[in-house]
Amino acid sequence: MHKERLSNLFETFDPAVKNIILGVLDIEQEHISMEKPRVKEHIDEIISAVAKKEIEKLDEQERP
Amino acid sequence: MKLERITIDNFRQYCGKQRVDFAKDEQKNVTVIHGVNGAGKTSFFLSINWCLYGKSLDNVKVIDNVGELMSKEAVNQAAIGDTIRTSVDLAFLHNGERYLVKRTLQGIKLIDGTVNVEDNDSFTMMRTKADGQAERINNPIGTMNSILPVNVREYFLFDGEKIDNFAKPEAAAQVKQAIYLVLKLEILERARRHLEAVATEYRKELKNKSGQQLRDLLEQEEKARAEIIKAKERIYDLHQEKESAERKIADIDKRLREMENTNILQQQRDRIERELKQRRTEMEDVVAIIRDLATSGYYVVAETAIKKAILLLEEKRARGEIPSDYRQQFIRDLVDKMVCVCGRPFCDGSEEHRTLLAKITHGLPDTLQDEVLNTCAVLQAFEQRTEKHRADVDSAMRRRAELVDIVSSLEAELDDVSRQLKGSPLEVISKLERNRENFHADIQGYILEIGSLHEREIKFVKDIAELKKEIDRARREEKREVLLSTKLDLAQRAADAIADMYQTFADDMRGKIQEKTKEIFKKLVWKESHFQDVKLGPDFNLEVIDRYGYSARPELSAGERQVLSLSFIMAMSRISDEEAPLVMDTPFGRLSSHHRNTIAEQLPILATQLVLFVTDEELRDEARQNLESRIGAEYRLEFSPRTSCTEIVEVR
Repeated sequence: MHKERLSNLFETFDPAVKNIILGVLDIEQEHISMEKPRVKEHIDEIISAVAKKEIEKLDEQERP
Repeated sequence: MKLERITIDNFRQYCGKQRVDFAKDEQKNVTVIHGVNGAGKTSFFLSINWCLYGKSLDNVKVIDNVGELMSKEAVNQAAIGDTIRTSVDLAFLHNGERYLVKRTLQGIKLIDGTVNVEDNDSFTMMRTKADGQAERINNPIGTMNSILPVNVREYFLFDGEKIDNFAKPEAAAQVKQAIYLVLKLEILERARRHLEAVATEYRKELKNKSGQQLRDLLEQEEKARAEIIKAKERIYDLHQEKESAERKIADIDKRLREMENTNILQQQRDRIERELKQRRTEMEDVVAIIRDLATSGYYVVAETAIKKAILLLEEKRARGEIPSDYRQQFIRDLVDKMVCVCGRPFCDGSEEHRTLLAKITHGLPDTLQDEVLNTCAVLQAFEQRTEKHRADVDSAMRRRAELVDIVSSLEAELDDVSRQLKGSPLEVISKLERNRENFHADIQGYILEIGSLHEREIKFVKDIAELKKEIDRARREEKREVLLSTKLDLAQRAADAIADMYQTFADDMRGKIQEKTKEIFKKLVWKESHFQDVKLGPDFNLEVIDRYGYSARPELSAGERQVLSLSFIMAMSRISDEEAPLVMDTPFGRLSSHHRNTIAEQLPILATQLVLFVTDEELRDEARQNLESRIGAEYRLEFSPRTSCTEIVEVR
């Protein structure tokens, strides 16, 4: 599948970055027929969710 | 996407409900729908497009300049005022799930025979999961864009006579657009652009919030705490100095007590100081009492109102209105029994009866009467407390004034003792007293400074409490900043990652399409030895190179251009792995028999599902034979000149 090919393209990147990219690609795909899609809020939601998990992970690592 | 079934109802020349099941078997994946010119092949083809995307989706036109969609015969048959419905249902499989999409347009037949068609059609999408559960999809357009986007559709559902466009010299932009859309380069590019825009917004937001605020507040708190420590240390030192001075005064007092010439005066001073200490303590107690009385005597301010209320109630009592002579219930009982208070019966309208009724009318209800009496008692208690409070305050104030006088008098006595000692003819005595006076002055200075430092300390403690609140606020803000900063980092890295990989991916895709187009073109074209190579350059020009190494595209015949375009479309379909059927309207129109034969042979192999709308002439002889074993379903479109309607007839 072409989607898998795209996913593999970002295999070497940080999983958090990869997850964001794949989430954003799905959003873009859903809005591909629009010339000026309003996707910023959706993208922000994806990034916020990943960022919160990243902060939690760092907090856990810093905990003694 | 694999088409399963279509049901057309009152769409253009298809009057009434008609159904077609598509061939979807792996070996028999071809559906042939044939008919003469004007039989309704293009209308059928349009019905698939209209069902999936409507007349237009967002800015993409799907159906244009084709006249009315509603069946004219259906309109003709309807009575005035009837609702006429045009609908197309399409069932298909995608990623193991079954979808059913339905588009309906309806209108009411008017008196003049025209139809008042509703402005918008309705589009619904249902999905049946593997477990058989069906669900309605809330975002059908987004879902359709994920399955087969409207702008990608034209590379899978196309008019065969127009596909040579890709092979025209001026078609580089169109080729590029096709690759961008089908191979998801467009969504990669959009994702990068939007991530970049989001990162820019985060950066702006982060600039407006500054971690400096928290740092400044923490610095202020540190300074305030340092000031408190400094004040405490100074207070400690001052206490030491004060104690030292007090010890020195005690030593002087001791020496004066021991000296013959001064012992009487010193003893006198000891007594005065003891009394002074006692009086000052008493004065502190009196001041505390006055303070307590001042803060607890809130009811004194209501004194006038209380007095007025008591007067009012007393007047009512004097008039006998409260309390009543009798309880209301008692009078009511007498009236009910028609018996006088003395036990004698009376009759209705008698003097006694009237008197008792008047008492009921003018008297207060029992509960209200109780309330009034209770209020009266409370107000009187307040009046007594007000008088006592005033007396207590007066007494305390008087005592304070007395104590002020006593303290002044004792201080004057102390001054007198000191003056006598300073004026002593004996130098040692006067010197001792002057020293004592200096130490005393020092102690006063220390006390003053300690007081001032205490006030300073209290101020800093208050400042710290306020700073703590602001620091908490800033900390909460900083947490948000940490989140924002993490979001910015992730958004930027995601945008950069796409930018890093984009060109590699685009070049890789372009190379793969070039190879696949060449492979398919060589299979389909009959002059395969003449055409040596197919190139898709970085400028997305689709080029055919002949055996001499020259560009052969300008010399390609219309049929060869069509074959090249078809090769390119097939290559995109193969490379993209897009699970979409190939639906072609009159694909062989311009092709000579050789091309027709090879395409008929190769297409079912290259496409996962093939739907062909053909004329009988297009698909005959060897072409028909080549396709025969792959045909899973076949229909004939029969146009009736009598009704101007087309009937779909199943052939196999």
